[in-house]
Amino acid sequence: MLVKRKSGQAGRSRLQSAVAGLASATLDRRSFLKRSGLAVGGLAAAGTLGAGTVRKAAAGPMMEGVEVDIRKNICTHCSVGCTVTAEVQNGVWTGQEPSWNSPINRGTHCAKGASVRELVHGDRRLKYPMKRQNGEWVRISWDDAFSEIGQKLVELRENSGADSVYWLGSAKFSNEGSYLCRKLAAFWGTNSVDHQARICHSTTVAGVANTWGYGAMTNSYNDIRNSKTVIFMGSNAAEAHPVSLQHILSGKEQQQANVFVFDPRFTRTAAHATEYVRMRSGTDIAVIWGIMHHIFANGWEDQDFIDARVFGMDEVRAECEKWTPERVENVTGIPGEQLRRVAETFATQKPATFIWCMGGTQHTVGTANVRAYCNLLLATGNVGKAGTGANIFRGHCNVQGATDLGLDISNLPLYYGLTEGGWRHWSRVWEVDYDYFVSRFDEVPAKAGREARTREQNMQTPGIPSTRWFDATLLDAEEVDQRDNLKAMIVLGHGGNTVPRQPEVKAGLEALELLVVVDPHPTSFASLHARPDGTYLLPAATQFECNGSRTCSNRSIQWYEKIVDPIFESATDYWIMYRLAQELGFAEEMFKNIEMVEGKFGPEPSAESLLREINRGGWSTGYCGQSPERLKAHMANQDKFDLVTLRAPADAPDVGGDFYGLPWPCWGTPEVRHPGTHILYNSEVHVMDGGGNFRPRFGLERDGVTLLAEGTSSVGAELDDGYPEFTMAVLRELGWDGDLTAEELSQIERQGGDDVDAVSWSTDLSGGIQRVVMEHGCVPFGNGKARAVAWNLPDPVPQHREPIYTPRPDLVAEFPTRDDAREFRVPNIGHTVQQAAIDKGIPESFPIVLTSGRLVEYEGGGEETRSNRWLAELQQDMFVEINPADAAERGITDGGWVWVTGPENDSRARVKALVTERVGKGAAFMPFHFAGWYQGESQRGNYPEGTDPIVLGEMVNQITTYGYDPVTGMHEGKATLCQIEAA
Amino acid sequence: MARMKFLCDADRCIECNACVTACKNEHEVPWGINRRRVVTINDGLPGERSVSMACMHCTDAPCASVCPVDCFYTTADAVVLHSKDLCIGCGYCFYACPFGAPQYPKVGNFGSRGKMDKCTYCAGGPEADMTMAEYEKYGANRLAEGKLPLCAEMCSTKALLAGDGEIIAEIYRERVTTRGYGSGAWGWQTAYQETINV
Amino acid sequence: MVAQLNFARLAFALAMLTLVAFVTAPAMAQEPVNPTARSVQEQQLLEALQEGQAVSGRVSIPNKDAGLLIKPEGRDWSGTHNNTVYWVSAAVILGTLALLAIFYFVRGRIRLEHGFAGRTIKRFNSFERFAHWMTAVCFILLALTGLNLVFGRYILLPLFGADTFASATQLGKFVHNYVAWPFMLGIAIMFLVWIKDNIPGRIDIDWIKAGGGMLRNGKHPPAKRFNAGQKIIFWAVVLGGAALSVTGVLLMFPELTGDPTNWQLSQIIHAVLAAIMVAVIFGHIYIGTLGMEGAFDAMGKGEVDVNWAREHHPLWVAGKDATVETTSPPRGTVAPAE
Repeated sequence: MLVKRKSGQAGRSRLQSAVAGLASATLDRRSFLKRSGLAVGGLAAAGTLGAGTVRKAAAGPMMEGVEVDIRKNICTHCSVGCTVTAEVQNGVWTGQEPSWNSPINRGTHCAKGASVRELVHGDRRLKYPMKRQNGEWVRISWDDAFSEIGQKLVELRENSGADSVYWLGSAKFSNEGSYLCRKLAAFWGTNSVDHQARICHSTTVAGVANTWGYGAMTNSYNDIRNSKTVIFMGSNAAEAHPVSLQHILSGKEQQQANVFVFDPRFTRTAAHATEYVRMRSGTDIAVIWGIMHHIFANGWEDQDFIDARVFGMDEVRAECEKWTPERVENVTGIPGEQLRRVAETFATQKPATFIWCMGGTQHTVGTANVRAYCNLLLATGNVGKAGTGANIFRGHCNVQGATDLGLDISNLPLYYGLTEGGWRHWSRVWEVDYDYFVSRFDEVPAKAGREARTREQNMQTPGIPSTRWFDATLLDAEEVDQRDNLKAMIVLGHGGNTVPRQPEVKAGLEALELLVVVDPHPTSFASLHARPDGTYLLPAATQFECNGSRTCSNRSIQWYEKIVDPIFESATDYWIMYRLAQELGFAEEMFKNIEMVEGKFGPEPSAESLLREINRGGWSTGYCGQSPERLKAHMANQDKFDLVTLRAPADAPDVGGDFYGLPWPCWGTPEVRHPGTHILYNSEVHVMDGGGNFRPRFGLERDGVTLLAEGTSSVGAELDDGYPEFTMAVLRELGWDGDLTAEELSQIERQGGDDVDAVSWSTDLSGGIQRVVMEHGCVPFGNGKARAVAWNLPDPVPQHREPIYTPRPDLVAEFPTRDDAREFRVPNIGHTVQQAAIDKGIPESFPIVLTSGRLVEYEGGGEETRSNRWLAELQQDMFVEINPADAAERGITDGGWVWVTGPENDSRARVKALVTERVGKGAAFMPFHFAGWYQGESQRGNYPEGTDPIVLGEMVNQITTYGYDPVTGMHEGKATLCQIEAA
Repeated sequence: MARMKFLCDADRCIECNACVTACKNEHEVPWGINRRRVVTINDGLPGERSVSMACMHCTDAPCASVCPVDCFYTTADAVVLHSKDLCIGCGYCFYACPFGAPQYPKVGNFGSRGKMDKCTYCAGGPEADMTMAEYEKYGANRLAEGKLPLCAEMCSTKALLAGDGEIIAEIYRERVTTRGYGSGAWGWQTAYQETINV
Repeated sequence: MVAQLNFARLAFALAMLTLVAFVTAPAMAQEPVNPTARSVQEQQLLEALQEGQAVSGRVSIPNKDAGLLIKPEGRDWSGTHNNTVYWVSAAVILGTLALLAIFYFVRGRIRLEHGFAGRTIKRFNSFERFAHWMTAVCFILLALTGLNLVFGRYILLPLFGADTFASATQLGKFVHNYVAWPFMLGIAIMFLVWIKDNIPGRIDIDWIKAGGGMLRNGKHPPAKRFNAGQKIIFWAVVLGGAALSVTGVLLMFPELTGDPTNWQLSQIIHAVLAAIMVAVIFGHIYIGTLGMEGAFDAMGKGEVDVNWAREHHPLWVAGKDATVETTSPPRGTVAPAE
């Protein structure tokens, strides 16, 4: 095909053969690791890669004549769930090809996905277990690490109780790893187990679940292709979820769709909108009520939908009436006319969908924001149909799965509560005595006038959110509502720089007795401080080095294969947690039903058998039908699924009629072959085609009004009105219990004991109730109304409340933050802080509103991506975006150094100025992926040699400030104040 | 024979830089060498558009015409390639190039340049196809395997198109007709002395 | 084309080179901000492009040159380089050679009217000669390696083949870059040493009016140490050398030029000026060797025959008369300098 220039070849034959001889010696795994890892470790210790010369490839190209294995994994960088197709030769990952067959990414990637192969080059990876001894990093063996950590944990447990140890898990775990981590915490005896959902969408999960039943994206990225109107609010998907834009921009083009972007910042997403609306950070509720004001005033609401399927909309209507265009403009900065246009479009050009991200969730009013968004959808009837819905773009690659699997301080796997019922359910699945768990939890003494808690009560009390762990370490023991302060952090795959008040985080880290970081990289947990002793770094493998399943934002579950064995001495999460359990003495019980396979360092639990255990207990959320076999069949048949509906044709072998990835809920046992649910609450299709309706989980009536749907049910349901969740009692009343098989009935009777009637769709381990109910066309959880008013939450009708550090102190009297309260074992003194800020005149001395967010090149705390040379090159400096007018006033030039100072802890950060119109006057933006600098000083020396990320920078969360959502403990990451001056 | 071209649909490009890292990944391009890059015009203003740019493989390539050692050649697919064995790192092609494609590792004194490196349209170089020798100098040769450049194949929003000029022009034309807007086939006029009329 | 480049742009400080197009005024509060409809259009940007400008934007990588997206003038420069520079250089150099040849055939060698006196007079000391010859050698190397960049591809490459030619040219590039420094030093020294004798004066006008006495035998206009012709060479070398040095350094350190357009301009100035200098030096070499009897000794030995000095630089000799007789013993034989 190509024409080679003959003269060019002839002249160099000798050189050519010499080079070829050198290089075509096939690269095996051992020499690859030698070349790429340990030897190269110090290459860029000074912080800049030897700029320029063409270095010879470390991992090499495809090797001539060596067989190529194709392995499919999933990108580990966001929730879209792009398939990664790897080419492996001799155990080395030598190439990456487009994954054309995936209906999610169709071959494409973003900067991160296109560079994941670098993660197993591993130049900057942690290579073996290390600990800090007298201030020096020393290499230790895995066995020594486990035994030292185990001994210390047992000692802490004796002296300070199980709650003195915090288990901070990861949204980068597989589902199986997440589940294992939650199970580990349960066996250890604490509810202080959390992961990144706390700081990204915990308020979404709480807000959405409290509105209509489940805390997840209702539709899918692909389904947005159907939307005629799209609102992004506090979501910069073009940077955070780039591949989703493939579907959104295609949809926009095909449907001539209206795309509104609400954001304080003109983002790359806004650049592709049909209308950009600049708003003030932290005024989401006022904006939404402002939109709904126009909807109700003009009768654009979907009254039939509201009547049949929504409870309490009148109370919301009354609140919206107060939000006149003038009042909205005063609070949000958005002209009333503009919102009228948005309102009319959203309500009349349907289907319409609403997308939000951390711009909405990371606020002291995060949960209320989310409920306001849901209300807009409910009022316009934009839920439960193609092209509609709350399209919540989750963050990490498995943050949805980790949330589902209960890596959370306030529930057990699959949203079973910390109630006795929840614990008994999982005890039954795990075949471990309920009382064993009770015995593992601490007794909490009475403190500072608060009542004591028994072990069982403590077992039902939510733990400490990951945003507040350092408060639990630093506060006086009397102030912390558990047996003792927090003394140890076990951090598995979680950055440390992602929560505000970093100066206090640093103090908290220094006060700990034990810090264990299990991660491919040291993270800022290891580098922020210089603890001389008691810090352990354990090299975890990435998800490319193990197998398992992960759940995308749209609830599709994808099974992924190991691409290469864990590199260096790194180990899988499964093995590490198994070994910890062994060291702590409960491995036998914990893994009694789990099949062990031979791993890199010995036996480790198999991902398949862990998933089967999840299936056995996952009834409440429909994690019961996705067997490993079915998921593997989906990955093998990706090309069968439709791009828009995500459904395979009925006659496709192995996956016929399924939705891609069996998006939960996938009811019943795998044998029932439920296809999964592409669109939640979609009553236009049969439950066996993924249909559903809102979930009645808040009782049957309130104030004399029914909470069940009125006069409507999903297609094919034998009950044509609202109905409650199914229990044996309901089944018997309907006479459907006769449809149960003898086996199912005997399981139900066995587990029901004295109260067989109480066995329900969510606790029946046989799956019989779900099967029978669906045969009658009904949805196992019932048919209820969504709630516009969540009476069990603070501000049942969401109320606008000013950020704690607001640039508008004049509005605080009318819209104060909530009163101080004790939440999650620690005090929340937001109100006191807000008043103090006004008294001290903070808005005058710190006049710029600071918000934070994502860069496309980096992810989360950023250690992994800042260590990836292909990504690091693209963003080499931490920066602050500042408006040209603000910059001019301060003598700041584009690219120059500036100091950003914050109102707490005398915080200051030295960063580069990016002078741009992206931010309005009086606003600034900083990305949150940087760490490794602290108040102008590089901390490169705190990393073990060769593990420092290529790019370091100041943490935005040095500057961000106090503020916590009362429902979930979510931090205020998007609205605070700062000052900027030229450095 | 096909006439290979690139086309960046700026109304789709979201500056996600997948093209940039896909290129780095496929060819192990070292730090400081940017065979492809994304430029954002009117940053922060309504009307902002991003364009992914690399060697456009021009018709009558100006780099080839200024090269003092005549190290460029054009393949039958109209891909403009060069020989690193002949290149003397003079930098002329950088100044002739309307797209800033040629890149040079910094070697030696006086800021003098090493051998020029640029986008090969994933078509390697003068060495035999798909050999280590070719890979180490120029990167992978996907075209010889019947594959298109990885940057375009991995583009998150399918903004960057690669392939025969007539085919990708047709794809672009259809898009513009469907959606009703298009900011132009960036660089085509300069590279190919033609543009896509819709 | 050279003409298309605006030479005023040599003032780099004035370079406001990137185009920030359509900076939109803040929208009216009630106007919808529709980023899709307001999208920039390539066609408009190209049409609005001023000469030498680029369609440019922001990049996140440190290399800000990468922000220049489309520079249509790259093609212009390549055309200029390949056509104008090529033909101008060829014409200047070949034309000069032709003129010199014609001159030689018409006028012949300028002989000493009174023959060699056999006594010499010191004209250049060893330091002066060192400076001259260092500069001269450098210039020749620079000229050859430089001309190779313009003409080698068409003349030498077909003769020697791609690999040999590329290796030689690579070597030539290094030679050019390294030899440039002693060349610049030589220029500086010559400037300092000879400036006092090269200040133009009234006498030079007469000299020029008389055609330097080169057109006819026996008509030597008076001259001091350097006549007007030599002064012209001096200033041509000093000013031309300085300009070549400045543009050459800019070419060598591209970051100094800032905008690529400046580099291109420097390159064209450098190339055209170098061709002119080659032509000037051809003239210089001609008159210093073949064209004039007795001239080469001045730089060759440092001493010139008294008769030569009296004919060509009578005023200089007059100033030196007191010492002339004793500086050098008479020589037995007289050899013409060739």
